[in-house]
Amino acid sequence: MSASPSTYDGVAAVLSLLVLLTEFAMLRAPLLRSQVRLYAFQSLVVTVLAVYVAYSKHIDELYVLAALSLVLKVALVPALILRLLRDANTDLAGSSVVGVASAILIALVVAAFGFFSVGSLQVSSSSLPTSSLAIACAIVLVAFVLIILRSDVVSQAIGFFSLENGVSVASLVVASGLPLIVDIAFLFDLLVAVVVFGVIMRVHHARNATLSTSDFDRLKG
Amino acid sequence: MSVVIVMLVCLPFATAVVSWLAPVKFSQYLTITVGVITFVLALALLPRATHSTMSVGSLLQADALSVVFLLAVTFLYATTSLFAKGYLSLGDGASGARYGKRFYAGFNLFCWSLVVAPLVNGLALLWVAIEITTVISALLVAIDDTDGAAEAAWKYVLLASLGLGIALFATIMMYYAGTSVFGASYSLTYPTLLAGAVHFHPDVVRFSFVLAVLGYGTKMGLFPVHTWLPDAHSEAPTPVSALLSGALLAMSFYAILRFFQIAVRTLGPGFPRDVLLIFGVATLLLAALYLLSQRDMKRLLAYSSVEHMGIMAIGMSFGATIAVVGVLLQVLAHAAAKGTAFFGVGSVVRKFGTKEMARIRGGVGTLPWSGPMLVMAVLALSAMPPFGIFRSEFDIVYGGLTEPRDVAVAIFVVLVVLSFFGLSWFTTETMLSENPSDRAPGVDGAVIVTKGEVSNWIVVAMATGIVALLILGVHPPSQLTQLLDRAANELGSP
Amino acid sequence: MDSLVVSPYGVQAIQVLTILLGAPLVSGVIANVEARFQGRRGPRILQPYYDIAKFFSKETLVTYESSWVFIAGPIVAFACYLTVPMLIPVLTTFPLPLGFTGDILGGGFILALAGFSVALSGAESGAPYAQLGASRAMTFGALIEPTILFVIFAVALITHTDLPYALSATIRSSTSQMVRPSHVLAAFAFFLVVLVDTGRIPVETHSGTLEFGMIDEARTLEHSGPTLALLKWGGAMKQLILYTILINVFIAPWGLASSGRLGSVGLAAIALLGKAIGLGVIFAVVDNSFSKLRLFKITEFIASAFLLAVLSVLVFYVGGG
Repeated sequence: MSASPSTYDGVAAVLSLLVLLTEFAMLRAPLLRSQVRLYAFQSLVVTVLAVYVAYSKHIDELYVLAALSLVLKVALVPALILRLLRDANTDLAGSSVVGVASAILIALVVAAFGFFSVGSLQVSSSSLPTSSLAIACAIVLVAFVLIILRSDVVSQAIGFFSLENGVSVASLVVASGLPLIVDIAFLFDLLVAVVVFGVIMRVHHARNATLSTSDFDRLKG
Repeated sequence: MSVVIVMLVCLPFATAVVSWLAPVKFSQYLTITVGVITFVLALALLPRATHSTMSVGSLLQADALSVVFLLAVTFLYATTSLFAKGYLSLGDGASGARYGKRFYAGFNLFCWSLVVAPLVNGLALLWVAIEITTVISALLVAIDDTDGAAEAAWKYVLLASLGLGIALFATIMMYYAGTSVFGASYSLTYPTLLAGAVHFHPDVVRFSFVLAVLGYGTKMGLFPVHTWLPDAHSEAPTPVSALLSGALLAMSFYAILRFFQIAVRTLGPGFPRDVLLIFGVATLLLAALYLLSQRDMKRLLAYSSVEHMGIMAIGMSFGATIAVVGVLLQVLAHAAAKGTAFFGVGSVVRKFGTKEMARIRGGVGTLPWSGPMLVMAVLALSAMPPFGIFRSEFDIVYGGLTEPRDVAVAIFVVLVVLSFFGLSWFTTETMLSENPSDRAPGVDGAVIVTKGEVSNWIVVAMATGIVALLILGVHPPSQLTQLLDRAANELGSP
Repeated sequence: MDSLVVSPYGVQAIQVLTILLGAPLVSGVIANVEARFQGRRGPRILQPYYDIAKFFSKETLVTYESSWVFIAGPIVAFACYLTVPMLIPVLTTFPLPLGFTGDILGGGFILALAGFSVALSGAESGAPYAQLGASRAMTFGALIEPTILFVIFAVALITHTDLPYALSATIRSSTSQMVRPSHVLAAFAFFLVVLVDTGRIPVETHSGTLEFGMIDEARTLEHSGPTLALLKWGGAMKQLILYTILINVFIAPWGLASSGRLGSVGLAAIALLGKAIGLGVIFAVVDNSFSKLRLFKITEFIASAFLLAVLSVLVFYVGGG
């Protein structure tokens, strides 16, 4: 039998995996509302991961970060988007370009690419939980697949936010010592981005009375 | 000098706040004043930057490289605010006032983020600053509230944010690369990173650099993630297009250069240069082909921006100091030329009421000042002497030949010539033709207009750009050449 | 009593007997619990035994068109279900003599052979619904097969062997083995495989009478008498076998006998049935909390199981996890 990774790495990797699986679930979820909820759940897992890293590595600053991300990513952002959905009065943008099973297979291939690209780094460092980093990379790539395969603004925005979750996972596992001020700046930036996304989504909805991006074909060449 | 840097960081922000509160007329003049002041302040940094690095606390820093980009940004800040005064025709009603308020607050905030980006010290803060440029400029792209603007803004904000997500990943990987030298917790400032870069793990730095080129490359307009660029440039209000093209793209290039600086220290020059060469050639090829088939004036200029970004990437890949000097000069000259060209196009669009080139005839005849200057700006963009871009591209080619990278140089020259055809075709068709007069009604649906300038403010803004281009092309001041040399040395391997 | 040591072959026989005799009990308990969840009193726990006994006392009807395959199918399947318990760790932590005659892949093949012979026998009946069930069962069987393979790959990677006993021992060796991501993923993927293979919601309503939604159940519609008894009994055994693999190889390999003493073997048998019933209750909860998927959505379900299994292998390759 092969040596198993340490319990810390194992738990970190399982939590990252949960984030990845949520990403896959988003790929599957047809209802926009359920997609937003999945995002909230994913952010919750990232928060738990932050708390776990803070606890096992004794980095108190991360508790602050976890609290902020709980408020911002688990509560505020989903609430904002849900309000937009309520105002838009839309449940379904009915927009998957391919079937669910094919989407999952495509995402799987892409995720495998992410895994192996990190695997090919050949970094054998005791401080690097390679599997978590590889999973983070896969999350980012699957978020790309989500954005490409969905054609409505809400799914695409959620795809971007969840990509940010993937990067958060990476930063928690490889750069947990990142100065708090930087982390807060990142979160603040996310908040600004969310507001701007919200504004542009509203503009789009106000102009076209739809959340779909299918009529985004005016500008070409 | 630290006072100057702090003022540069504070002034535009204060202006943005004031523009939100004050009447539009006041903010227009205030913006022009502040734009000119920031340019003067940036010039004031120049003499010191030629021989030393200035820093304020641990957050702000100005070395030669940042001052080069700062000059480009502040120059555009000043000229674009002049142009905006003439270009925006704000009605007297409430809607005009609201638009003006939004525009000037957003415009100043955008310029503020562009000024801050080269002055911050550290990859993390740089990322934050560039993300702020993205979100604000996305709002500015959407400000016209048309179908096209909504679509362009969405594509832009989504793609650019995704790119920046990747760039954040790159930043974190770079941080991780540093932990092997500095321990788990340290600050991502440039001097720290550059000092330790030799000992970083090469594979991690390689991964990080590729991610950075992809991520920031999205905002810079590198192939294949350039697709937002023509849309955003064509649908944004023209002053914003000028800033997007001349300053925002350059700023993303600046971020890539910061990563490049670290990567060459860890990996040696080979790998980073090859990456830039591949992206640069693909970008230049794409732009050259698209330049030949444009119908929309602003899209044409947007693809010309893509072309110039490709040129800069290729220039960096040549590696010789003279080529790097050429690239940095190109940043300045491109800012001036592209700004001027957009101002001219703005004038034409106001005059003819359309961006479609098929309906624009006789630009030089009807716009006695801005018409010829637009032709000059376009010639400058096609690297004609005596303008700045001729000098910079000459340096790049010369550098490539000394390296020697003959094949790349040959491809480079062919593609640049190809884009010259695209640009000059457009110029002769629209500007140097006859405008159908009232007596002989329009041929081919061309719009009939009367002779006369749209606004003198535009003429002043364009004249400033042309003068700058001439200075850069004919005889760059010696302090500027010193600055470029120092910046090129900062970028080279130690 | 405690000093009475059973020979390894004897233990092996007890393993088979435990599965053979315990399977209807587990099915009965699950059916009862399920009924209680739905607010019914439900059948007696021992009802499956009565059913089987009753079917054995009836005659078997065979259509004129059916060949010997119709009768042979259930018998072959039953034989297969009797073979598999020899290969997997049902009661003991130590490998038994015949445990090496087939690895986990071999066990999978034998189970697949059983499923195939039942389907063949159903198709041979010539009745439309039985044929429908047979063809559907084969289709989804083919779709689930890659998942099973990847689960097996994951197991083989973790243990460097493909023997179920070795994995069971690896899991027992430390807690960190339990939380290692590739194991968690493989276990969960296998859980989904069991859902599919035992015909539970969300794939199939196992107790329904709606032929259009049927997959596995439809195959047996034309059988009667002893062959039906064999099919029912075989189905219960298959369920218990899969539960046993899930429990003793993946999620809870505790309470197994570490020696051949009769007392500990007997305790292990009771523990196994207890754990299987516990697991069955979980399945009953799943059954009551989800609705059945539309037939064409089942591929999505299988795709997600496949996803987990592949991720398990990938995570192992990259992180050693």
